[in-house]
Amino acid sequence: MGEPLRQPLEPRQVHAVSAKRKWSSAIWKHRKEYLAISPFYILFAVFGLFPILFSMYLSFQKWDGISEMTFNGINNYRFMLTDPEFWKAVRNTLLIWIYSTIPMLFSALVVAFLLNASFVKFRTFFRIGYFLPNVTSLVAVSIVFSTIFSNNYGLLNYIFSLFGLNPVEWLNHTWGIQLAVSFMVIWRWVGYNAVIYLAGLQSIPSVLYEAAKIDGASGVQSFFRITLPNLRPIILFTVITSTIGGMQIFTEPQVLVGNDGGANGGGLTIVLYLYREVFINNYFGYGSAVGWGMFVLIALFSIFNWKMVQGSGAK
Amino acid sequence: MTKTRNCILCLLIVMFMLSGCSVNSSTPNQKTLTLWYWNRGLDDKLIQAVQKQFPDVRINAQKIGGDFKSKLKTTLAAGSSGPDIVAFNDWVTELFPSADRFYNLYDLGAKELEPDYLDWKWQLGVTPEGKMIAMPIDTGPTALFYREDLFKQAGLPTDPEEVHKQMGTWEDYFKAGEKLNQAFGGKVKLTDNIGGIYTQVNAQSDSVYFDKNEEFIGETPASSMKKAWDLAVQASQKGLLANTNSFTSEWNAAMNNGKIASFVGAVWCKQILMDAAPDTAGKWRVARAPGGDGNNGGSFLAIMKTSKHPKEAFEVMKWLLNPDNQVTAFKDVNLFPSATKALDAPIMKEKEDFFGGQSTGDIFTESARGVKPAYFGTKYANLNGIVSRELQAVALGKNPETAWNAALKRVKKELLR
Repeated sequence: MGEPLRQPLEPRQVHAVSAKRKWSSAIWKHRKEYLAISPFYILFAVFGLFPILFSMYLSFQKWDGISEMTFNGINNYRFMLTDPEFWKAVRNTLLIWIYSTIPMLFSALVVAFLLNASFVKFRTFFRIGYFLPNVTSLVAVSIVFSTIFSNNYGLLNYIFSLFGLNPVEWLNHTWGIQLAVSFMVIWRWVGYNAVIYLAGLQSIPSVLYEAAKIDGASGVQSFFRITLPNLRPIILFTVITSTIGGMQIFTEPQVLVGNDGGANGGGLTIVLYLYREVFINNYFGYGSAVGWGMFVLIALFSIFNWKMVQGSGAK
Repeated sequence: MTKTRNCILCLLIVMFMLSGCSVNSSTPNQKTLTLWYWNRGLDDKLIQAVQKQFPDVRINAQKIGGDFKSKLKTTLAAGSSGPDIVAFNDWVTELFPSADRFYNLYDLGAKELEPDYLDWKWQLGVTPEGKMIAMPIDTGPTALFYREDLFKQAGLPTDPEEVHKQMGTWEDYFKAGEKLNQAFGGKVKLTDNIGGIYTQVNAQSDSVYFDKNEEFIGETPASSMKKAWDLAVQASQKGLLANTNSFTSEWNAAMNNGKIASFVGAVWCKQILMDAAPDTAGKWRVARAPGGDGNNGGSFLAIMKTSKHPKEAFEVMKWLLNPDNQVTAFKDVNLFPSATKALDAPIMKEKEDFFGGQSTGDIFTESARGVKPAYFGTKYANLNGIVSRELQAVALGKNPETAWNAALKRVKKELLR
């Protein structure tokens, strides 16, 4: 607040009349600044805001994408809530999220801790190395993983055969598909989250550790008493971003097992389901409804995570 | 100073917004025709030759990569002016409800060309109301691809005609599969997957899910739906399937390693097979398919209503798809002809090394002539997806009865949407 505390109060009437003009004249006065920031807002309005609002409208329409739209009331939402395939997709997405996020964030923390440790040499090399998967093309990664987990001629089954184990038909089982997808997510995102954690670790003042050492705290104690509490906001950030990312998982299962989600639909995630309903089955209105259903799910989930991560440390 | 800065800023913004628009560089008398197709959907050399053939036309051919159908549909959905000429695949029926977004080719003079093309293929582009929205490019007649050496080892006939004689029906074909299982102890399977059999049985039929009034006929005896389902289930229960999804890397490996002795597929599988299984060159043969001739795939060209030059577009299309050029396209990019005259061309009789010197063109032209005209219905893909998913579950152990009922229930729900 840069304004002086004791500002002479204006009479209310004057205020109301001139409010609008003041507003527009303020904009006019700063027109250059507004012009300078306008590209973002114009692009956002065209490619962000409009599609969001339009999809809201579309979710109450019946539309095959080409012919006339017809009003469909809440039928799209009703169909969604009663479609077992939708719930299967929700279940699959949550399972894949759980399988991937927990090991991913845990190993990211470990990697960050190691990268931060003073005994590690060539730190920049490792940092780049761990981050590299994140900038690799997703489709290429999915194709590589599909050859690893392939049923009969996969790399993993080859390794199994070297040890005399029976091959596993990974992609013929729901859990196998979900495991493969989770592995892809973990492989891709550990480095990214580790770098974020590393930034967090480096911002913790070393005085705290030194003080703890003098008081006789062990390494484990200082990890749980100093590192974790100080990292909490950063952990919250990574949990929420991976929730949003995890709920929107699409390319990995699509390239791995195709539009139907593979054996028994084990890889059918919400976005894959949405994609199939819209672009294979031509239900544009219904797809929008699914998009909004997903929005609600992500919001609920993020709030839940927020409460959990925030609440558990409030001792 | 500030003024120039403002100007530069404005210019930048304007340029940024304009960069999406393309600038046409045609001479005033030339008419530009935009054409959308996919890689290998048409012969690129012929498209280039259009320029010479039609001096007053400038053709702007765009290869649309990725998911062609969704890109076309989103363009149509946006309502903006799309291309003049556009290619469709066998999902042409999905566009019948929007027939008024395309020119009726009968109005442009297509009627006189009709006798030159295979009738069943031509009819696929005509709506039940008699509007012709799409003109045939290529066809996908089906046949049985089989490994001669593996058939020989199992004591099965090896000559294409003998094979067809002994395996004229799907049931007989499965019997041969059991023989293969005995001979190889289950290491070599008759064919690839459960969905393949379902698809191919339906590809041979003239009625699957819908009649011309868009009524669901899947439960009537005329429909091949249940028959195809039962045959597919039978093949799975007899252990004749390798359970590898078509055209995946698994499939390629299984073909190259000789784990699959045969499959029924369209003519375009030839190229895929040659790329997938180079080690088996010379060992494959092609015979008429069990169960009869069928068609799987094949594309079309249409003219969008937004086109300003429908007459020129139609002339270009007519030329691109005439019998002579279909022969050229077959030579260049393996597009199997839809024009009857092109089927008689000497090139169709050429011997192929990959197939041990057999001229498979003979088999496929026979098959192409034997296909029955069928009507697919606008929701064909939706229904096929539902049934295929349930079949997949059967292959993995679901009770066939339960799966069939689940499929029918889901189909009925789908029809009400």
